[in-house]
Amino acid sequence: MGSLARAYGRPLASVIAGIAVAWVLVLILVPLGAMVEQSLWWRESKGDISLTIDRLYNDISLIELDREAETDPAKKAAFDQSLADKQAEIATLEAQETNPPKTYGLANFTRMSGLHFYIFVRTIFYALLVTALALVVCYPVAYVVALASGPRKAVILMVALIVPYAINELLRVYAWLMILDYRGVINGVLQWMGFIDLDAREWIPFLENPSAVFLAMIYTYVLFMVFPMVNTLETLDRNQIEAARDLGASTFRIHRRVIIPHAKPGIAVGCIMTFMLSAGSYSVPAIMTRGQGGDWFSQLVYRQFYESNNWNMGSAYAVSLLVVCTAFILLMMRLFGVGLRDIAK
Amino acid sequence: MRGKDVRLDQVSIRFGDSTAVQPTDLAIHAGEFFSILGPSGCGKTTLLRTISGFIEPTAGRVLIGGEDMAGKGPNERPTALIFQNLALFPLMSVAENVAFGLEARGMRKAERLKRAQELLELVALSGYGDKKPADLSGGQRQRVAIARALAVEPAVLLLDEPLSALDLKLRQHMRSELRAIQKRVGITFIYITHDQGEALAMSDRVAVMSRGKLEQVADADTLYAEPATPFVATFVGEQNVLRGTVAGLADTVAMVDTPIGRIEGRVKGPIRLGEEALLMVRPERIGLGSGGTNTVAARLAARNLEGPSVHLHCAAAGQTLIVTVPNGPSVRDLPEELTLSFGIDDALVYPVGALAHG
Repeated sequence: MGSLARAYGRPLASVIAGIAVAWVLVLILVPLGAMVEQSLWWRESKGDISLTIDRLYNDISLIELDREAETDPAKKAAFDQSLADKQAEIATLEAQETNPPKTYGLANFTRMSGLHFYIFVRTIFYALLVTALALVVCYPVAYVVALASGPRKAVILMVALIVPYAINELLRVYAWLMILDYRGVINGVLQWMGFIDLDAREWIPFLENPSAVFLAMIYTYVLFMVFPMVNTLETLDRNQIEAARDLGASTFRIHRRVIIPHAKPGIAVGCIMTFMLSAGSYSVPAIMTRGQGGDWFSQLVYRQFYESNNWNMGSAYAVSLLVVCTAFILLMMRLFGVGLRDIAK
Repeated sequence: MRGKDVRLDQVSIRFGDSTAVQPTDLAIHAGEFFSILGPSGCGKTTLLRTISGFIEPTAGRVLIGGEDMAGKGPNERPTALIFQNLALFPLMSVAENVAFGLEARGMRKAERLKRAQELLELVALSGYGDKKPADLSGGQRQRVAIARALAVEPAVLLLDEPLSALDLKLRQHMRSELRAIQKRVGITFIYITHDQGEALAMSDRVAVMSRGKLEQVADADTLYAEPATPFVATFVGEQNVLRGTVAGLADTVAMVDTPIGRIEGRVKGPIRLGEEALLMVRPERIGLGSGGTNTVAARLAARNLEGPSVHLHCAAAGQTLIVTVPNGPSVRDLPEELTLSFGIDDALVYPVGALAHG
């Protein structure tokens, strides 16, 4: 703060510091804090509480009937007393029902069912697979783009990467839905070529297979893999490639020993982004599978929020996903020997 | 290691419409330290990349050790290239850098690292094998690049201005170092440079190149004393250039009418009586006093002390003549009016042609 004030003057320095604080608050602390807080408590709502209330109302009706028929004032007074008791009981129970008591604890995290845990693990595995496939697809593209120069590069970038990404993500996913659907483009072409007969329901059910999600997801997130790689590959001195070739190295060896080590930070950033995006992607699996290809964990989180209306459980799911993904990324960075500083470059 | 000869047979290189190298014949002997000297953009780097195999000539043949190199890539030729920026692999250790070519040839790890040690010893860098290139000084990196290139036992080592990034002192030191290494390993060195000092100091022979053409191929002394063209004459060393008309022509001696008077000089090209010609005299060949055949009366305009020598800027008939004389008491207090003189052998007469500096 002191050096900032010296460099920019007190007013500007306080503005900069204010923006930094606001950034941390708005982007990190508030949303994460809200989510974590939400995941750490639940409301103790006994499942039979409304049943008890219903039963009490029934009792009241019966007592009221009995009371109408009763002529003995002493017995009538006893009925009145019991009615008042029941009504008081209903009042407390209803108060509990509308505003159940908050309890803090880790139960939301430990309550995950076996099936949900299986989906969780499978989502992480699928996200890994998507990342690996995207890496395989993107590396050659990034290499060509990074080493192309002049107007050719602009054309490749424009046609191959920018134009598809100017289209909204949802539209692109729906486009893939149309391509892979039962009566979609591919099945249509297969019919036209005479391999299958759609009217006899002989289509290939692409969408019932997780690979449909993979395909759409790779397509959706490919850019996040390509751009970091292009950025690092562009900084590679081409003389190094030529030097390696001049020294007799094969193309494979040049990539393995010279180019990939240089591109490692970019590859790491691309993989992290793709992994995070695909592990947390909701729209792509939701649209592509339409419930036929098995859920991704993000869909479970969605359901906890909007169908079970259990925000606490949903938050716990979301936090679990975040923690596991983060841990996983740190592990990967460890394994590949890439530090945060390399990535920042 | 054995050097091989390199022969260019009518090699020409075009990029689209522009000609980078005009049809060129050149024979470089085995084991020779050969320099190609020229200003930037003259095509020397293109020529080097053609020899190394990164560029295929548009026409003509490249022969190394008598073998036609057509269709052979850089990795299939008995050459190794040292890049201008060295292109060391920054993420590998020095030893791995040196051993890379052997690794590519499938040599076992222990064996190739042992060989790398030997090469690092050759360039006086033993003990640096575990360091990263970034930890070394400029001159040390230079030597790593040499060791790395020598590791693949090339018959011809190609060097693309590898000293240009070093500071002056280090550059001068590396000149003798390079020469010593070349003597030790005995292979052919082809050295590209725009620095005439480097070329003249290190090379057995030098080719001067301009605009895609070889102007002259000769040893350093010949190049300096007997430049074949006006370009070579002005590119290598300093030169006083005078324009004039040929007034007399006898055998190898011509008389040229210049603004400073009629000068006699040696004929260095096809000139004809009555036509324009260029007369060149080196500053150190002009003496004070009237000892030579050609005498000029001049006025001393400026005197620049260079240390061992003094540059005198003399004005004569609207022309500036630069005279370099050894420093000493006799040049401390010079009179305003001077008489300059030089012999017939000191003045060279060329037909009009391109000069190195405009």
